[in-house]
Amino acid sequence: MFDFNALLSPAYSESSALIEPVLKQINNQISYQLNTGVLVLDADFNVVIWNRFMQVHTSKKEEDVIGQSIFNAFLELPERWLTRKFASVLQLNTPTFCSWEQRHHLFELPHTRPITTDSEFMAQNCTFLPIEVDSQQKYICILIEDVTDVCHYQGQLQKTLDELATMSRIDGLTQIYNRRHWQESLKQEYAKARRHDKKLSLIMLDLDYFKLLNDNYGHQCGDMVLTEVSALVGTLLRIEDIFGRYGGEEFAIVLPETNLAGAIELADRICREIAKASLTYNTEAINVTASLGVAQLSSTETNYEELITHADSALYQAKAQGRNQVCSAVYAQTSTLD
Amino acid sequence: MNEFHLTEDQQDCLQELINVAMGQASDQLARYLDTFVYLKVPSIESVAAKDLLQTLSQQQNTMAVVSQGFFGYEGIRGEALLAYQEEDSGRIADLLGYEPDELSEDEQLIDISSILTTTFLNVFAGQIDNQMSYNAPKLLPSVQNSLSEHLQQMTFNWDLALKVNINYQVTDFSFNCNMILLIPETAIINIKNVLDRILAEF
Repeated sequence: MFDFNALLSPAYSESSALIEPVLKQINNQISYQLNTGVLVLDADFNVVIWNRFMQVHTSKKEEDVIGQSIFNAFLELPERWLTRKFASVLQLNTPTFCSWEQRHHLFELPHTRPITTDSEFMAQNCTFLPIEVDSQQKYICILIEDVTDVCHYQGQLQKTLDELATMSRIDGLTQIYNRRHWQESLKQEYAKARRHDKKLSLIMLDLDYFKLLNDNYGHQCGDMVLTEVSALVGTLLRIEDIFGRYGGEEFAIVLPETNLAGAIELADRICREIAKASLTYNTEAINVTASLGVAQLSSTETNYEELITHADSALYQAKAQGRNQVCSAVYAQTSTLD
Repeated sequence: MNEFHLTEDQQDCLQELINVAMGQASDQLARYLDTFVYLKVPSIESVAAKDLLQTLSQQQNTMAVVSQGFFGYEGIRGEALLAYQEEDSGRIADLLGYEPDELSEDEQLIDISSILTTTFLNVFAGQIDNQMSYNAPKLLPSVQNSLSEHLQQMTFNWDLALKVNINYQVTDFSFNCNMILLIPETAIINIKNVLDRILAEF
């Protein structure tokens, strides 16, 4: 049978003072204790060597592995692809690799952290090395490294990065977009609308007498109202509408591909729904209304900020006319709207 | 001109070694792929460290870079980068004889890179009486930023980059990529010694 001496360069035994049997024994013990899986295949892909790591982790019987085709011993292996990879090792006499980052594992082996990680099998980096004993005898050595830890920590890092990315976009209280992200989205929608000559409308919404509410019932009540109104408005929007908290009790909605009439219709509905919402705080009924200003992008604005200004002045008008109502921006060139 | 700069003779000699290595590598590759592989003579240029990023970013649609470290005796070591453009990634599975659903596009890029790098460098090492070992190849995604970060975080400071343009034509389609060999100063001195030895034998 083929032994592990072949895994080390013969140059070692020449320069070493150790006699051959001792060297062989050392090599065998290293491979036995190595915390890396070792499998050696002959040119027909039959397993000729496995080390203790593989014995322990596979819990397979020696006779079910040694002398068997690797694809019979390990039914989970992707046969077609792996055969092609083995062929490259034998024919090109070059090593080839398989990383957990592309393929989590090849061999279904348990790992040493089954409790603290969420993957069922050991994440692996596999290396396939050509071994040429002479021109007739060629073997493939497969090294299997346990990288479950690396994989686990990488997963946690990615999760944290995703959470941070979410936190930088979302308003903590209302769970809708924060001002920074909302404004960035408006900027992009503005650019898109200009480039493709598409309609774009904007609604600015401000809760009426919100300061009074805070003064009479406390800030916790105010927070409840902000959260409930955000949730309510959210249910009235389309998936492509971009809803954000603009300031304290002010909200803003970007409506892509929507004309003024459509935006007014939506604003009216939002206004009505908020007014009839039955909110309670400490068993006391709370009545809330909102004023809304609507504007549509026309040919005159040169930047997205001007659109905000137009919707804002419409909002101011709604407040001035008695609140709990919708006003739309008045344009000099109404003919540009349809 | 510094001590790492190759003389004209050394440059010619290196070009010849690379031509032969590339030729033999493509011959092996043709047999492995069981198809006719036509290889253009690779163009080689050395790129100064500070110019590499600029050189690479000039290639408009570089889509992916795969990096693989190599190391041999006598301190010959370095890192091979294979840079692909978008239009060359589509048919790698065909080229390798895989079914597309067997592996992801990333894995295809890594597989073809590993084959190109190791086949070429094995032959190259054989010509200078050396033998190479390799690290596992790694894909650097979203090229522009990650490449400069990667170059800063490398395990050695490289002083010379050899840019080898590889163009394979495989029967009915062609396949292009750039191989960039990043080589640290100790390895350059060793390579120069080897080149001088070869030149002296002529």
